[in-house]
Amino acid sequence: MNPDVVRARRVTRDYRQGRTLIRALRGVSLAVRKGDFLAVTGPSGSGKSTLLHLLGGVDVPTAGEVHFLGRSLASLSVEERAALRLREVGLVFQRFHLLPMLSAIENVELPLAGARVPRRERRERAAAVLERVGLADRLRHRPSELSGGQLQRVAIARALANDPVLVLADEPTGELDRATSRQILALFRELNAAGTTLVVATHDLEFAAGAHRRIEVVDGRIGS
Amino acid sequence: MLALNSIRELRHRPLRTLLTMAGVAVSTAMLADMLMLGGGIQESFGDLLESRGHELRLSPKGTLPFDTEATIPGFESLRDSIDRVPGVARIAPVLAMSVTAEVLDGDPEGGSGEAQTLALGMEPGDASLYRLVDGDLPGPGEVLTDAGLGERLGVGPGGRLRLSTASGLRAWGRSVTVRVSGTGDFVFATARDRPLTVPLSDLQALSALEDQVSFAMIRILEGEDPDSVRDRIAATVQRAEVVTLAGVTEKLDERLSYFTQLAVILGSVSLFVAALLIGTITAVSVSERLGIIAALRAIGVSRRRIVGDLTAESAILCAVGGGIGVALSLVVARYLESILATFPGLPAAVRFFVLRPESLATAFALVVASGAVAGLVPALNATRLEVTALLHREEP
Repeated sequence: MNPDVVRARRVTRDYRQGRTLIRALRGVSLAVRKGDFLAVTGPSGSGKSTLLHLLGGVDVPTAGEVHFLGRSLASLSVEERAALRLREVGLVFQRFHLLPMLSAIENVELPLAGARVPRRERRERAAAVLERVGLADRLRHRPSELSGGQLQRVAIARALANDPVLVLADEPTGELDRATSRQILALFRELNAAGTTLVVATHDLEFAAGAHRRIEVVDGRIGS
Repeated sequence: MLALNSIRELRHRPLRTLLTMAGVAVSTAMLADMLMLGGGIQESFGDLLESRGHELRLSPKGTLPFDTEATIPGFESLRDSIDRVPGVARIAPVLAMSVTAEVLDGDPEGGSGEAQTLALGMEPGDASLYRLVDGDLPGPGEVLTDAGLGERLGVGPGGRLRLSTASGLRAWGRSVTVRVSGTGDFVFATARDRPLTVPLSDLQALSALEDQVSFAMIRILEGEDPDSVRDRIAATVQRAEVVTLAGVTEKLDERLSYFTQLAVILGSVSLFVAALLIGTITAVSVSERLGIIAALRAIGVSRRRIVGDLTAESAILCAVGGGIGVALSLVVARYLESILATFPGLPAAVRFFVLRPESLATAFALVVASGAVAGLVPALNATRLEVTALLHREEP
C-alpha cells in the first residue's frame, strides 16, 4: 500500500462570523495516499474548500489533527507551514490568481523564486512545466492575453513548479466551459498517471467521475 | 518577481503613478526648502560676518551692530582701554546714521538726484565694510558711495554731494558738501538701503556726535581665542557690550526663531502629507490585490517577501518623486529667494535659502523613509489577514 501523503484525523473547523459560530467541518477523518486522484464533491458551503485548506496546511483545525508526510501540522509555525506549502504542496484556485503584470513563465517562476532556485534554473524549470501543460508557445504571454483554459493551465503549471508531493485544486473548472473543463480533467489524469497526487474539490460531477476516488462532503461531514 | 510585478503595476497605471510622484515631489521640495530656510539665513549671515575679518564686535549695551541708533559715547578713552587688552590687534570704529544725499555736481538726469540713505563713518583707509569698485578710498571732505546708490543718484567719482542729517534733534538741518572719491560694494547693503561712507570724524561733526560710535569691529591677534579676548575686554569695558561672531549669530538665531519654527512646522506638514499620500496609495493598491496576496500566501510565499515587495512599490514612488522634488526645491528656493531679497533690514548679500547637500539628502531620505514606513503599515496589515477568510471572500 502506498504511504499517506496527508492524513486528517477527526478534524473540526469552526469560524466565527460576527456572533455566530459556524462549524465548517465536523470531525472529518481522511487519508490521501501517494498517487491518489481524489475528488471532493458537495454543495456550496458544505466544507470542501475548508477541507482542502486543512489538508494543505493553509489553515489549521479547531480540533483534531492533520499529519503531512507523517508530521503534525499543528507543530509548525505559520511561516514553517508556508515554507512547507511552497515546496510540497501545489495549489490551484478557481479564479487562477495569477499576477496580471507577469508573463506566464514569470508567474510559474514565482514559487521557484520563493524557494530560492537560481534564476537560470528556474527559468528552465518554468519553461519545462509550461511545456508539460501544453503552453510552450505562450511563455511570454500575460494573463490578459490568455483564454480561461490557458490561464488555468498556467495556474496548474505554477502549482507543479516546485514538483510538490500533493496538488490541491479548488474548483479548477468553475470558471471554464465544458470543453475546456474536459481538457483540464485530461491534464489532471495525465499528471496523476505520471505520479502526481491530486485532491480536487469540484461541483462538476463529470469531472469528479474522472477521478480515481470520490468523497462527498455534506454539512461538514464526509457523506460517502 | 513580485517587485517586477510592482514596477509593472506602476507603469500600468501611469496617471495614478504620476500623480502620486507629483505629490511626493511637491512634499519633498517643500521639506527641502524648509530645511534650507531653517538654518540658511543664520549660516549665510555668519559667513558674511566672518568675511569681514574681525572676530569681535563692540556695541552699545543690549544691542547688535546696525540694530538701533544708540551710540557708544567717549569712544577714544574706551579705545585706549581696549588697545591695552592683551590679544587685541586692531579696532575699527563705525558710526552709522541716516542722511539725505543730494547731488550738487553730477548727472542728476541719470538718477533721482536725492535719496535718503545710511551713512557709515569709518576711519580713513578702513575698507572693512566694503570693496572698492571705482576711484579712491575717501579722505577728509570726501565720500564713497555704494555703486547702486551712485547709479540711483546719478553721481560718480568726481561729483559732489550735499549730505544733510535726516534725524536727531541735536543735528537737525546740518549739512556738509563732499566730493565723491569712488564707489564700492557694501557688504551689509540692503535691497532698499544702499550706504555711503565718509571719514568718521566728518560724520561725527555733521551729526554732532563727537567721540561717539555706533559700534566697533575688533580684530584679535592670530592664535588668540575670541572668547578669552572678549572676556578680557568685557572685564575692562563696562559701558559697552562685546560679543564674538558666534554670539552675534546666536542672538540672530533667537530673533529668527520665527523662521526656524515656521520651517519646522511646514517641513513636518510636508513630511506628513507625503507619508499620508503613500500610505493611502499603498492601502488602495493592497486592497485591489487582496486576492493575489491571499493566493501568494496560500502557495507559500513568505510574509516578509510580500511585505518587502509591496513596500518596494512605495519606496520606488518615494525615490522617484523625492528625486524630482529635490530638483524642484532648487527652482522654488531660487524663486523665493528673489522675492525675499527685498526683505527690509537684512543685507542683500544674506541668503534665506542656503544650498546645502545635506539638506537635500536629509529631505530625500526622510521622504523615502516615511513613505516606506507609511507603505509598510497597509502591507503588513494585508499579510496579517487570515488567508482562508480572504480566499473564501475572493473565490465564489
